[in-house]
Amino acid sequence: MSLEISNLTKAYGGLRVVDDVMISVPTTGITGIIGPNGAGKSTLFSLITGFIEADAGHVSLGSVALDGLPPYRRARAGMVRTFQVPREYTHLSVRENLAAAAPDQTGESLAGLFLTPGKVRAEEKAVAEKVAATLDFLRLTRVADLAAGGLSGGQKKLLELGRALMTGARLILLDEPFAGVNPVLIEELSARIHELNARGTGFLIIEHDLGALSRLVSAMHVMDRGRIIASGTPSAVLSDTAVREAYLGGGGKAA
Amino acid sequence: MISFAELALNGIVSGLVIGLAALAVTLVFGIARFANAATGDVMTLGAYAALSGAGLTGSLVLGGLFGAAAGAVVGLIGYWLVFRKLGGRSSVAALLASIGVAFMIRAVMGVAFGHGQKVFPMPMVRPWRILDIRVHPNDVNLCAVVLVTLAIVFAILHLTPIGRQMRAVADDPSLARVSGISPQKVMMALWALAGAVSGVAGTVVGIKTVVSPEMGWELLLPAFAAAILGGIGHAGGAIVAGIALGIVQEVATPFVGFTYKIALSFVVLLAVLLVRPKGLFGTVAGAR
Amino acid sequence: MEAYLIAIAIVSAVYVLLALGLTLQYGMTGIINFGHVGFFAVGAYAAALLAEQGWHPLPAFLAAGVLAAAAAWPLGMVSLRLREDYFAIVSLGFSEVVRLVVTSEKWLTKGVQGIPGIPKLFTGLGVGLPNSLAVLAVLLLVNGLAIYAMRRIVRSPFGRMIEAIRDNEDAVKALGKDPARFKVQVLMLGALLAGFAGAFYAHYIGYISPDQFVPLVTFQIWMAIIMGGVGRVSGALAGTLILMLFLEGSRFLRDVLPFISEVEMASVRLGIVGLALILFTLYRPGGIMGEARRT
Repeated sequence: MSLEISNLTKAYGGLRVVDDVMISVPTTGITGIIGPNGAGKSTLFSLITGFIEADAGHVSLGSVALDGLPPYRRARAGMVRTFQVPREYTHLSVRENLAAAAPDQTGESLAGLFLTPGKVRAEEKAVAEKVAATLDFLRLTRVADLAAGGLSGGQKKLLELGRALMTGARLILLDEPFAGVNPVLIEELSARIHELNARGTGFLIIEHDLGALSRLVSAMHVMDRGRIIASGTPSAVLSDTAVREAYLGGGGKAA
Repeated sequence: MISFAELALNGIVSGLVIGLAALAVTLVFGIARFANAATGDVMTLGAYAALSGAGLTGSLVLGGLFGAAAGAVVGLIGYWLVFRKLGGRSSVAALLASIGVAFMIRAVMGVAFGHGQKVFPMPMVRPWRILDIRVHPNDVNLCAVVLVTLAIVFAILHLTPIGRQMRAVADDPSLARVSGISPQKVMMALWALAGAVSGVAGTVVGIKTVVSPEMGWELLLPAFAAAILGGIGHAGGAIVAGIALGIVQEVATPFVGFTYKIALSFVVLLAVLLVRPKGLFGTVAGAR
Repeated sequence: MEAYLIAIAIVSAVYVLLALGLTLQYGMTGIINFGHVGFFAVGAYAAALLAEQGWHPLPAFLAAGVLAAAAAWPLGMVSLRLREDYFAIVSLGFSEVVRLVVTSEKWLTKGVQGIPGIPKLFTGLGVGLPNSLAVLAVLLLVNGLAIYAMRRIVRSPFGRMIEAIRDNEDAVKALGKDPARFKVQVLMLGALLAGFAGAFYAHYIGYISPDQFVPLVTFQIWMAIIMGGVGRVSGALAGTLILMLFLEGSRFLRDVLPFISEVEMASVRLGIVGLALILFTLYRPGGIMGEARRT
């Protein structure tokens, strides 16, 4: 199964921020998209996940066409994104943040809540166990009962990853997971992503930081001025002259 | 019996006023990013200032300038004392504060000028008859005032550096930081301009109908509806939508009755949000 | 004096019901409802008109609440999917349209004249203190039930979701849940409470007219929940207390200073509500107790 993106285009006032992008992302591997600031990477994510309406093009996940669907329907199809600036539920505890991401809860409908309290209790117990396991996996148990707004930047990135895991998504889209994260935690995050991938979750990662990404991914696409200018294995892509020009000539840092 | 054509003509006059108010709303919405509920009461203030100015100077034109100036000054005061401090907070903070500003302006007007209705001293003029349609010279003058105001506003927006900066910020707020535009300067220009436009709009309504502490608040809903219909942040769209709304309101009055005029704005508002939330000319979708 | 205190307590309990509805909508879910008085009006007029038709108060009250909630449904469906400030505008517009309708449809509502002679409740117990106490008891019971239900909701998965929506709606969408579904339900629940409040108000005051349902009422409730501390049931209670002190205090002031006319006093009241809204959003968004969350 794969996420298929074809001819995806978005323009703002004549400027094509995402220009005829065509890529195929397997839901088994770890795929990277790199590019200098302003290349259109985050816009591409928003187009894929439905947060911005595309001018043209198609997105499908497996056999499901996602065009025109609202973000939550796309997420339910099995593809969940995180945000460049973490969007934790600030006043909820880390534990509650994770629990709120569990899909299909009877207790989330008023009728279910008041008419079938037994079922709600049973489901809540199952969710609590899954949350505990996720907290443990991400090494967040220590901060589980703190308000999420007070976490460090790196912890928030872990929490976002954790919420995505709670949904049971097949493909997780990470928007600059390493930005503003200290090197130790980057290693930690990379290790978790690898481990999850080994267990069957696919990743599509946008990153500015080439070093961390190239060690992580099996395939890489390079974006510049809205277009995909190169695709391939990390080593092939990084030795491509067009890529070196876009990155080094464009003023982006090649770490 | 008023003919259909006369109703439509009336609609153009009130539509131009709604358009002015919607312009003030859409400028603030596009640049300061919230629906300014004080717009209506700044109009009221403009009307009272114009009334006082006309009384003092004996000139309606000078009175109108008083109205515009008072609107601009109150806009600036509101920005400096309240909205400037709410930058970076959620939109509900600015929304609530604008309701607070609206109430305070109305309270001051109520205490200062009383709750009775006041009228501008207008000379009685016989209406002209053009192709069997009665045209009031006053209406023609008011239209001229609105058109001149619009010309000035669009000239400021398109021909001056500060106007270009305002439009740039409206298009992309993050642009302001990277391109060296001073946000404070843009904001002050915005609030002065929006205030002056509201002041003129209030004066025109006051001359066309009556001046009372509630007059501006009653125009807030049509102004919001026109601003959203025209596409938030789209100055030209606000005017076109305002005129359209004005004509619809007047033409529909014989069928739905006088009191439901304002309700029509609400119906239009719901219809726009249902069918096309980004408005007729808008580029920014209402959905986040 | 006892009669006065009971009267104050009854009106306070009506306001608490309104404040609880807004706490659920804004404080817990982040819905910017600027048209609360519209739902209050729907409840009040429904109860008054059904009483005129000879309905028993119990089904009439239920109908009043359900009608208010039903009025909330289409509003929410149209605008709660959009930017949060669009709902502020739409709800404000709704409350003004409700006022226009009850002003214009004279055949039904007697227009600006208003509906007089709405029967008091529990007159069978004896007019005066006994029936007022019974009304107060029922109001307190309804408030207690509302608070119980809200507590239950907050601690449930549903409550977790609405607080998540308040904190970050985009994240909720990104994780596969439809915020609009939750928001419409919360809006209707809050409107239900406002509808009940309206029914109690109509029967207690005995006379309703369009000018009792102006937007000022909505923003008095906003003032109350912000002063008391947004998002907490205790905040709604504390805020309503402050609101009642303010309203009664200003009435008392009028008695002492008879040279201030009623319309002037109305302007002063309006100005103070406006000033309070500004000062609290600017300096104490967490209420007088401070802390809690910023708006």
